[in-house]
Amino acid sequence: MADSPLLSVRNIEVRFGGLIAVAGVSFDLNAGEICALIGPNGAGKTTLFNAVSGNVVPNGGSIRFRGEEIAGLTPHEISALGGRRTFQNGGLFPELTALENVLVGLHVQVGSDFLGLLFGRSSARAEVAATKRARELLSLMDIEHLAEQKAGALSGGQQRMVEIVRALATNPHLLLLDEPAVGLSPAARQQLAVVVRDLARTRNVGILLIEHAIELVMSVADRVIVLNDGRKVADAPPEQVRADRSVLEAYLGHA
Amino acid sequence: MRLRRVFWLLPIVLLPLPWFLNQYQQYVLNTALLYVPVGIGFNLVVGNLGLLAFSNVAYFGLGAYASGVLMAQLGVPWWITLLPAALIGGAAGAIASIPALRGVRLFYLAIMTLAFGELMRWTYIRWEALTGGSMGMAVPMPDLLGWSLDTDLRRFYVFLALVVMLVTITDRLLRSRFGRAFMAIKDNEVAAAAMGIPTDLYIVLAFAWGGAVVGIGGAMFAISVGHLTPVSFDLTELLRQFAIIMVGGLGSLAGTIIGAVIVTVAPQVFISFPGFDELVFGLLIILVILFLPRGLASLLARAHPAFVERYYRG
Repeated sequence: MADSPLLSVRNIEVRFGGLIAVAGVSFDLNAGEICALIGPNGAGKTTLFNAVSGNVVPNGGSIRFRGEEIAGLTPHEISALGGRRTFQNGGLFPELTALENVLVGLHVQVGSDFLGLLFGRSSARAEVAATKRARELLSLMDIEHLAEQKAGALSGGQQRMVEIVRALATNPHLLLLDEPAVGLSPAARQQLAVVVRDLARTRNVGILLIEHAIELVMSVADRVIVLNDGRKVADAPPEQVRADRSVLEAYLGHA
Repeated sequence: MRLRRVFWLLPIVLLPLPWFLNQYQQYVLNTALLYVPVGIGFNLVVGNLGLLAFSNVAYFGLGAYASGVLMAQLGVPWWITLLPAALIGGAAGAIASIPALRGVRLFYLAIMTLAFGELMRWTYIRWEALTGGSMGMAVPMPDLLGWSLDTDLRRFYVFLALVVMLVTITDRLLRSRFGRAFMAIKDNEVAAAAMGIPTDLYIVLAFAWGGAVVGIGGAMFAISVGHLTPVSFDLTELLRQFAIIMVGGLGSLAGTIIGAVIVTVAPQVFISFPGFDELVFGLLIILVILFLPRGLASLLARAHPAFVERYYRG
C-alpha cells in the first residue's frame, strides 16, 4: 500500500446520451496530497467527482481506491470504504440540527443493529458515545455552539463547516470537496484553507478539491489538474499551471 | 428534560378509564387504541422517511383479513394470528416500496400506492371463498389463552398492552441511528447515501416495518368490529388514517397517538347525522394545515422543549 497511490483514476469516461462529459481522464492522488480540479463550467469537474464518489456510473475506465476497484460501486459503499464528499450546494440535512448532521455522518460507526435495538436492552450507550464524539468533532472546528441549531438556519459559511465536519466524522482516507469556498467570506476562506491543509498534513487525508476561487487553489493545492471539454489539459504544481498557455486557452478560448 | 417520561404514566392513568364508560364508549376507546399502530406505520413512512405512500389501507386490510380468515377457517387463536398479520402486512409494505426503489416519488408514488390499496379491496370482494366477498365475514369470538375476549372491556386491556409495546419499540427505533437515517433520507437522499447509509435498504426497512405494525392494527380491528367487509378498507378509510397523522403531526410519535384519539373521538359528536362524521376528517385536516402545519404535537413541543422529538438523546 505504501507505494501505490491512494486514488488511481484511469481513462474514466462518462457519457450522458450523446454528450461526452468526461473523455478518458487519468490521474493519481496520494495520501496527504491536496489536488485541485479546475476548469471552465461544463468541463466535467463535478461529473468526474460524481464518478469517484459513486453518484455517477462511468461508462469506461477504472478507479482504484486503496487498491480496490470502486468504479460502479454505490455512494454508500464508497463512503463506507473511506471516501467522503461534500456537495456544491445544499449537502446538509436542513431539518436536522448541526449535531444530528454529524451523527448521520457517524452512522456506520454507531454500533446498534436493528433487532438488538428493538428487543435488546437499548442502544442508548452507542448513541451517547456517538453524540459525545460528534460534539468533539464540532468543537475541533470551533462550531460546537451551533450544535443544537437546525442546519437549514445556519449561514452559508457555517453550513460549509458543518458539512466538512460531517464528512470527516469517520476519519476518511479521501475527501472530495466540491466548491467549498462558495459563499464564504474572505476570513472564512482563510479558515477553510487552514483546515484543508491541516487535514492533509497531520491526518494524511488525500483531498480532491473543485474550486473556482483561484487564490484558494493556489494557496492550498500541491497539484492542479485542469479540465476542459472533459479532457485533462494540464496536471502540474500550481505555479507551473499558472504559466501554462493551454490553461489560458481553456479559460479564454483559442486566439 | 425528563418530562417526556410523563408519557409513560399515561397507560397507568388509562387503566380504570373504561369502568367510567358505557359499552359504546368503550368500543370507541378501543378503536382509538387500534388506530395508534395503524398511524405509527403510516407516519413512519410518510412523516419520518418522507415518502408519500398511500398503501396503508392495504396493510391494514391484509392484517385484518389474515387474522380473521385464520381464525374462521383454521381455528387459529387470535393472539397467534398477530404474527402472520404482522408478516403479511410487512411483506405488503416491502412490495409497496418497489416503486419508491425505482425512483418514483411524490404524486406518482401516491397514486401507485393508492392503487395497491384499491387492488387489495377488489381482492377481498372477489376472493369470496376466504373473505365472504362484499357481504363480508364474521370473525369468531377471540380469546387469549383461554380467557375470552368477548367484551370491549376485556379487549381494552389487551389492546392497551399491545399499543404500549408497539409505541415503546417505535420510540426506540426512531431515537436510534435508524430513525435518524430515515430523517436524513427525507431531508436529502443523495447526501444520506454519501454518509454511508444504504438508502434503498432503509426504504424497504421502513415500509416493511411500518406495514407489519399496521398489520397488527388490522388484527386488532378484526376482533374489535367482529365482522370484516371490503368497504372498511376503502378510500374513506385511507382519508381517516391520513387525517390521524396530519392532525397529530407528521413524523411525531406523540402526534400519532393524539391524532388517533382525536380522529376517532371527534366524529362521535356527529353520530346522529350520518355522513357528517367523514366531513369531520376533512375539516380537521384543513384546520390543522391552516393553523398548525406541524400538527397538534407541535403545541406540545411549543409548551415545553422536552416534548421536541429529537431522536438522538439516550
